[in-house]
Parts: sequence; C-alpha cells; structure tokens
Amino acid sequence: MKPPGADKLHDALSQGQWDQAVALLQQLDPAIAADVIMEIPFEEQQVLFRVMPDDFAATLVSHFPYYHSYVLLHTRSIDHLRAIVDKMRPDERLMFFDELPEEAWQRLMDELSGAYSPAAQEGAATELAGAISKPIPAVEPITEAVQVEKSFLQPDGRQIQVIAATDLSLEPNTITALLGPSGSGKSTLLRILTGLIQPTKGIVLWHGKPLHDCAPNLAIVFQSFALFPWLTVLDNVETPLLARGMEHSQRHDRALRALHSVGLQGFESAYPKELSGGMKQRVGIARALALEPEILFMDEPFSALDVLTAENLRGEMMELWLGKKIPTRSIFLVTHNIEEAALLADRILVLGRNPARIRADFRIPLKQPRDRNSAAFLVYVDYIYKLMTQPELEPALPSTTARAMKTPYPMLPHARPGGIAGMIELLNDRGGKDDLYHIADELLWEVNDLLPIIEAATLLDFARTDKGDVEVTDKGREFASADIPTRKVLFREAALAHATLLQQIRNSLACKSDGAMPMEFFRDILDEHFSEEETQRQIDTALNWGRYGEIFSYDSESDKLFLHRLEHTGDSQRDLLHQG
Amino acid sequence: MPPPPKTSSGVPPWGVFPTEAPSLLRDLPILIAGFALFYGLLTFARYGIGPVNTQAEIQLNPGALPKYAFFSVTRIAIAYFLSLAFTLVYGYVAAYNAKAERFMIPLLDILQSIPVLSFLPPVMMAMIALFPHSQLGAELGCIVLILTGQVWNMTFSFYSSLKSIPREMHEAAEIYRLSWWQRLWQMELPYAAIGLIWNSIMSVAGAWFFLMACEMFVLGNRDLRLPGLGSYLQTAANAGDTRAIVWGLGVMVAMIVLLDQVVWRPIIAWAEKFKFEQVEAAEPTSSPILDLLRRSKLIPLVARVTVQPAREALGLHFARAAALPRVRPRRGRFMPWVWRVLILAGLVATAYAAVRMGQMLASLSAAEVGGIVRGAGATFLRVEATLVLAGLWTIPVGVFVGMRPRLSAFVQPLAQIAASVPATALFPVVLLMLVRIGGGMGIGSMVLLLLGTQWYILFNVIAGASAIPTDLKEVCGVFRLGNVERWRKLFLPGIFPYLITGFITASGGAWNASIVAEYFHFQGKTLSTVGLGAVISHATDTGNFRVLLAATICMAAMVVTINRLVWRRLYGLASTKFKLEA
Repeated sequence: MKPPGADKLHDALSQGQWDQAVALLQQLDPAIAADVIMEIPFEEQQVLFRVMPDDFAATLVSHFPYYHSYVLLHTRSIDHLRAIVDKMRPDERLMFFDELPEEAWQRLMDELSGAYSPAAQEGAATELAGAISKPIPAVEPITEAVQVEKSFLQPDGRQIQVIAATDLSLEPNTITALLGPSGSGKSTLLRILTGLIQPTKGIVLWHGKPLHDCAPNLAIVFQSFALFPWLTVLDNVETPLLARGMEHSQRHDRALRALHSVGLQGFESAYPKELSGGMKQRVGIARALALEPEILFMDEPFSALDVLTAENLRGEMMELWLGKKIPTRSIFLVTHNIEEAALLADRILVLGRNPARIRADFRIPLKQPRDRNSAAFLVYVDYIYKLMTQPELEPALPSTTARAMKTPYPMLPHARPGGIAGMIELLNDRGGKDDLYHIADELLWEVNDLLPIIEAATLLDFARTDKGDVEVTDKGREFASADIPTRKVLFREAALAHATLLQQIRNSLACKSDGAMPMEFFRDILDEHFSEEETQRQIDTALNWGRYGEIFSYDSESDKLFLHRLEHTGDSQRDLLHQG
Repeated sequence: MPPPPKTSSGVPPWGVFPTEAPSLLRDLPILIAGFALFYGLLTFARYGIGPVNTQAEIQLNPGALPKYAFFSVTRIAIAYFLSLAFTLVYGYVAAYNAKAERFMIPLLDILQSIPVLSFLPPVMMAMIALFPHSQLGAELGCIVLILTGQVWNMTFSFYSSLKSIPREMHEAAEIYRLSWWQRLWQMELPYAAIGLIWNSIMSVAGAWFFLMACEMFVLGNRDLRLPGLGSYLQTAANAGDTRAIVWGLGVMVAMIVLLDQVVWRPIIAWAEKFKFEQVEAAEPTSSPILDLLRRSKLIPLVARVTVQPAREALGLHFARAAALPRVRPRRGRFMPWVWRVLILAGLVATAYAAVRMGQMLASLSAAEVGGIVRGAGATFLRVEATLVLAGLWTIPVGVFVGMRPRLSAFVQPLAQIAASVPATALFPVVLLMLVRIGGGMGIGSMVLLLLGTQWYILFNVIAGASAIPTDLKEVCGVFRLGNVERWRKLFLPGIFPYLITGFITASGGAWNASIVAEYFHFQGKTLSTVGLGAVISHATDTGNFRVLLAATICMAAMVVTINRLVWRRLYGLASTKFKLEA
C-alpha cells in the first residue's frame, strides 16, 4: 500500500528536485511523510532533511524512531538543530527527550544550551556518514529468502514451528547482523540461508535462482571453529580449496595469502590444539576467506573467546573489511551480543522467539570505526536493549510485518533465583534504577546472561522495565532486604502469583490426595508448545524455582514431583533426608 | 665473480657422508624387515595353493615353531585386514543410512553375541566347497573364523565414532563441499582412528585367544588341522607333552610382545595426533620404533614419489567428480526399482530361512532340549560366579593400586603383559596341574574363564580408582570416615562407572570363552563339563547341526537379554548418577 503521491515523489528524487520533493511531502500527513522518508536511502534522507524548512522538520521529528531522529538532527548545523527542537510541539519534544538514553540526552541538552563547543561538534558530525552504509534497495540482493518457515516434527507427530514465515535479503557491501536471544532460532536461520537446512516452506534464492540448484560461493565461520585437529593450520585452510579441485601450487599460494591476511604467518605447520582460541578462530576465518566467498556467514564467531580476545579480533576483522582486504562482498553475522552488532553492522535484524520472526530491521548510519562511548552509538545500543526487553515494543518501522499469531504459552525465563536476588540487590545499591546497557557494560555481561534475569525479575514483579531502564519495585526492595527464609516466602508468593507453569504444577499436585505427580505429565503439556530442548529448559527452570520457593520437591529416580507441605519442616525434612 | 662453490666454505667434501651413512644404517632394518615379510608371504602363498592337506602332521619339535608362528600371524593379519574392510563398509552404511541403520545395528548386536565356534560349520563348509582342490579353502575358512571373532567390536566402534562427529564439523564439511573421499580421509577416519585402534588391539588379542579352536577342530567326520601355533599347542596338549606346551606358550607370548612393540605401540604413538582434544596432552605415548621410522630418510622419499602424488590425484579426481552436475533423474528411476527387488529377495530368503530353522528346531528331541536348558543354566551360573570371584580380588587390589600412582605406574605394565597371554594357551598347563591334584573340568572351566576375564575388571578398577579426585579423599580424612564408610561413600560409588564397563566386557568375554572352557581335548581324551559351551562344542565335533543351531540361538538370546536387562541399565545409572564431574 503506497501512500498517495509516492510515485511523483520518487520521480522528483531521482531527478534531484529536492524542493519539489519537500513540497510533495508537506502535503502529506506527517506520520505518512515520515514513513515515506524512512523508505528511501539514507543519503537522500539526509539531503531532504537538510533542505526542508525547520518548521516541517520539527513536525516530522517525532514521527521517526527516536534514534533516527537523533541521527538526522545531527546532520544539520547546531543553529538549525536548536531551531528545529525549539519548534517541536512541547509534548512531542518531551517524549523525544524521554526516550533518549542518558548520554545522548546530556549531549543534546549541552548543544541546546550552547555548552557544547562547535569544535567538538565538528568532530561529532563526522561520526555520521551516510556514505559508509549505503542502503541501496535498488541493488539486486545476493541472496534472498522468500517466506521461509521451519517446523520440526516432534516424536509424537506434532509440528513445532521454530521459524515463522520470514522474508530476508542480503545485499552486497553490507555487514548484516542477526541479533536475538539464545534459543531464538538465529543459527537455524543462518543454516537455512546457507542451504545446510532445508526450510519446511518457502525458498532461498541465490542470485535469483533456487539455492540448491546452484553451487553458491559462500563460507561459514563457526562458533566452535570446526577445525580438523589432526591437520596443520595450512592443511586446514587448504582443505576447502582441494574440494574445489584446485591444483596443489595454487592451493598453497591462496592458503598462505589468507593466513597472512589474518596474521598467522609462521603458524602454518602448527596444529590447532597448539593455538589459543583467538588464533583458532583466525584459522577459521582464513579458511573461509581463502575461498573468496561472495557472502561470509559468521555464526557467533566471537562467542567462544574471552572478552579481550574477541574485542581484538573484531577490530582486526573490521580493518580488513574497511580496507577492502577481504575478497567478500557481504558479511552476515549471527550474534547475541548487542554491542558487537551495533559496533560492526551496517544493518541489524532483531529476531523474536517462539517462533522466530524478524521484529526489527534497521540500518546504523554511523561511520566506521565506531566509538562505543559516543552519544550516537549509545542511542542505538539503548534502542536495541529496549527492543529486546520489551516484547510489546514492536518498532514502528515500515518494513516490519506484523503477523496474527496465536497467543503462545507463557515462557519461564531461564534465570536462577540466586541470580534474580543478586540483580535486585545490585540495582538497590545503585539507587533502584539504571540503564540496562550500563549494567551489562559494567558487569561485562552479555545480554544473553542479563535478559533472562531481567525478564524473570519483571515477571515476578520485583522489577519493571521502562524504555531500556530497569527499576526495582517495592516488592523487589522487600525481597532484597529480607533474610533467607523470608526471601523464600516472598519468592514463593511471587512465583505462584505470576508464573503460569508453577501455578499449574502446584494446582495439579494439590488436587492429588498423595500430592505426587509424575514429571512426564508436565513434560507432555510443555511439549505441545515448545521444542524438546526448550521443554527441558522450562522444566529445569521450574524445578529450580519450585525447589527454592519450597513449592514442591522432585525425586529424580522416580521422576516424580511432590507437593512441599508446609508442615514438612524441621524434623520431618531431616527424616526425608535420611530415607534418601 | 662467480659465487664460491659450497664445498670451499671450510667443510670437506666428504662432510656430507656422516649425515648420510647413519641414515642408511637406520634404514637397513626397515629394508630387511620389508624383504623378510615379502619372503614370508611367498611361502604362505605357495603353501596356500598347494594340494589339500587338512590332516597336516603337526611336528612337536621346537624347530618347527618359527614357521608355525609365522603362519598363525599371517592368518590373524589377513583376518584383521578383512575385518577392517568389513568394518569400514558396514559402519559407514549404518551411520549414514537411517533406514539401514534400523536393522544393521540390532543385527550387529546379535552377531556379536554368537560364539565363534558356532560360525565354524557353515563357514568351513562354504569355503571348502568353494575351493575343493587346494589348501586355500581350509585356510580361508580358518581366516573367516578368526574374523568372526574380531570384527564386531571394531564395527561398533567405527559406527559410534561416525555418529559422534560434532555437528559443526559435519556442517563445515558440507559447506566447504568436501567430496566423500576427502571427508573419509580428512574427517571420518581420523575421527574414528583412536577408537578403531584400541578395538583392533582387543580384537587381535581375541584372535590369539581363539587361535587353538580355529586352527584345529573336528567337524563331523572330518578332522581338520592347519599348521600354526594354535594347532601346535593343541597337539602338544593332546599328547600331554609338557615340554612342547611350554615351548609353544613361550613362542606365543614372544610373538604377542613383539607385535605389541613393533606394531601396536608405534601405531598408538602415531595416533596421538588424532586425539580430538583442544589442548595438548601432558604425557604422550612414546615408541622407539616410531621414532626410527620418523627419522628414516627412505620412507619420506618413497612416500614423496608414491603416496603423495596418488593422494593428490585421487583428491582432485573425487573433488572434480563431486563438482559435476549430478544426474538425478536417471538415478531416481533406476535405484528404487533395484532396491525394491533386492529388498524383496532379501525378505523372501529370510522368510525361507526362518521356516527351515523352525522345522529344524521342531525336530529337536526332548533330551536335546533338556541338555541345552541344563547347559544354559550351568553356564549362566558359571559365568556369574566367575564375575563375582574376579570382582572379589580385583576390586580391593585395583583400588589399592589405583590410589597409589607410583605403585600403579609399576604394576600396570606387568599386569598388561600377564593379561596379554591368551588364557586358552595356558589352559593345558592349568589342566595338567589340576589333574595332578585331582581337580576336574568343573574347576578347570572356572579357572579358564577367570584367567580370560579378570583383567578387564582389574584395569578398569585401577583406572577408576586413580580418577577419584584428591579432594574427595581428603574429605574422608577430614571427617575421619572409617574404612567401611569410605568404601560405601567414596570408593564403590567412585569406581562404579569403570567397574560396570569392566563387568560388561568381562561378561561378554566369559560367555564367548565358555565354548573353549567347558570342552577340551587333552591327553588323547575329551574333557567336558555341563554347560552351554560344551553343548555347542560337542555339537560342532559331532556335526549335530540341530543342536548347534538351538544352542547358539539360546546363547545369543541369553547374552543379548542380559545386556539389555542388566548391563545397559547399570550403564545408564553409571553415566548419570555415578558420574564424577570435574
């Protein structure tokens, strides 16, 4: 559904008649105009934004996603920036300010009050360079997934959908990052795009032809490196070249060149087990680069490395890519690390889970190399955190397709009670409220570890999240300051009030005269909603919570759950121990 | 000015010799060994195509022993390589073809539980019918018989290795489009190498164990004997010639030790590089022979002109063949048709065989059935009693040794040599002593079973005890646990997984060994006791196929049932509850 006048607008843009384009846009409703602008390449957005009058810009600003408004505002001089912000409707301006993370907000305030020196702004302005990431929708994608879907057959014949119908295309000269929580189906999507897994429905096209009809030139860098431990570094890199039927001397030269480019000269005759993790992944990267793939797929390539090694390798990877030393047209990166995605990617896809679907698809028009402390960078990081912590916050992007889905079974976040308590205490010590990415940054925690805890704390009503901030609730404060037995009571009350699975288990056990049920019963219920692995994780989490809250106990030998009766205190518990 | 010749740099021209000569000297043993092997194979071939002589006179003078030893080793070697070929094909198909896997693996389980001697009549008949006029028939029969004793565990090992290749490694092979040839050599064989080597060692040890039964036996009215170490020992036992028994035993032990040093140790040391580990091992196995081969200049030279070009050419050939567009439609039409016919034929043949088998079993007399049932009961009790006896001495000793690293470093090699002596070869000596003190076959069979199986348990207990973490031992010390408590709370649970592994191997070995333990030709007489093994051996001797079939089915069924009902459950328990996590 195209807005009226879209064709005329595109004509005007293609002829470079910016004023005419602005005039056309001004006739539209501001919300629709903002949507139309979001669809055109970023440089054109910049030019348009620069030529449009301040009044019109001020009406548009609140209709863009706030991170995008922030970036567009900073493409204009500081005077215009002030003028535009000044002309915004007060309520819209407040909302915009409210959405910004602390650093970005602080900088904007400085700029508006004149405390921000123009010299510094000069430097900041170069952060934004549309030329680096060219979203050129007109260019033909290298590969394209059309309505791909994946379901797995359960042992009992039920189908569990792990990936909902998804459209996805990868363009040349772009680093695309696929971001999502663990278990969201990122790796499955990567395997569908590379042809390792057949989609249940839909098709993957490679240069317009079905993937399995051609021999696509692609390579994967694996999380576990997947090197052959009995081959030397050189032989490992040569292996795929031999598979392409390349003669020995040519193979040798290419492998040496690839090893040289990742800084592994001198290690040719080493075996992988003699190398550190970072070095092993370099071999994995060299093996992939030696093939000169059109798209380089990277499946959590830095996740198995320690923080410093990963940082170093990321930097070197970007140096190669920006220096055009990589014979690769495009990179597709699967990661659960928000900073990593924001640091490397030109385009980010955020995946939601159960079943996986693309929740957001947006570009980061920041110049490389990116400064992870700059305000513009933090605006994006903050935005992604918000997206991932607030499932209801579907971004208002034109490219996202909302689908009607059946309401899924509420999932228990995989967090341990100890972790929840620790997080609440930490937040309490910091004044009861903080930005999520601050916590992650300071604890050197990855979002994978952090999100389940936040989700759990929110579910139990010990904390609430609001636009990327976490705040401890009164109940949470009570929980954090209680002694151990009281904590257990508070935890039990909260879990029984909010966690569906625990409620179900407790109620079923209470119905039985002996207060015992086989675990198999609950496993069957969960199997209807989750994959086999997820069911196991749900059960593990439920056991953890139930045991901590003394709601029920579990005997692994008989695979049975027992209601934890309140009169089972002191002596009777000791008796139980002795029997076991 | 031209650059000065290299010799003028102060080094005398003959300076090159000292580096060359020792290498030639080093290569000399390799060359001699090569020629000796060639001569030996010629001899064996000349004998193999010679006229039928299945009643060869076995000379008991020690001078004949080198020839016999060579013949036996050659038979075992040929059987081993045939086993390897079978293993690769069977394991590969079972691992990658889900449909085939469903019946290939249970079939393997059953085949594994059939004792060697039960294969004897069909194998021998088939081979002698194939080559009625040359020695080759009987020889091939003997070789296939040895094969049936060693192939199954190798196949299992290869299959489970293939199944456990990490998923990402498979994906790397697929995404980088490795041809099946390249996959085999760069991924599957290296990954399976270590398991395959250890199982090969066990298999060859098994071959030595059953050598006497395989080289000399009575089949109905035919008395077959093939020249070899096994038949030498058997003949010596029959004649009651103690001197010859000792000589034969000595040569056999010498051969086993020699093979260990010359073949297995270098291979184990070489296979270090196939360990699928991400960090370097602390103490790799060493082998002087491997060092000799590695220092040699001859072998790399030969490899450079033969193996390397061949490997390159083959690698490229298969890579290019894999890159060609596949001709799918033709295959699509052709294959299912052929498969359907083959499967149908297989089903018909199986049904026919099942009916005939049923008829044969139905014709068993009540006395025969009674004998089998009684034998099965007796052997069951005997095997379990042996396991208990073996456990009673190996668990305390194993724990004692395993807890003391220095002691176990000293005891382990000795125990390994003791374990490498095939119990069957010792059997005549044991019987001689038993007869002297008035014991009979009942005790004798237990002793043989014990001799054959106790080592599996001992080694596993030592390994288990040495794997118990020090901090747990210290906890026992800190809380002043008494000896009984220590055993209940730490040692027994700690060694449990290892103990179960040992018992599983020992139980399988004991059932299989009962056929040689319960029935023995000795000093011109046949000694036997009540047991399923004796029933099978006797049925083979007298050519009573009905009883042989029934007893074999009975034994296989019992072994499979005990494995499923007892050992597999205990193993499950061992790998969950009693697993010591680091």
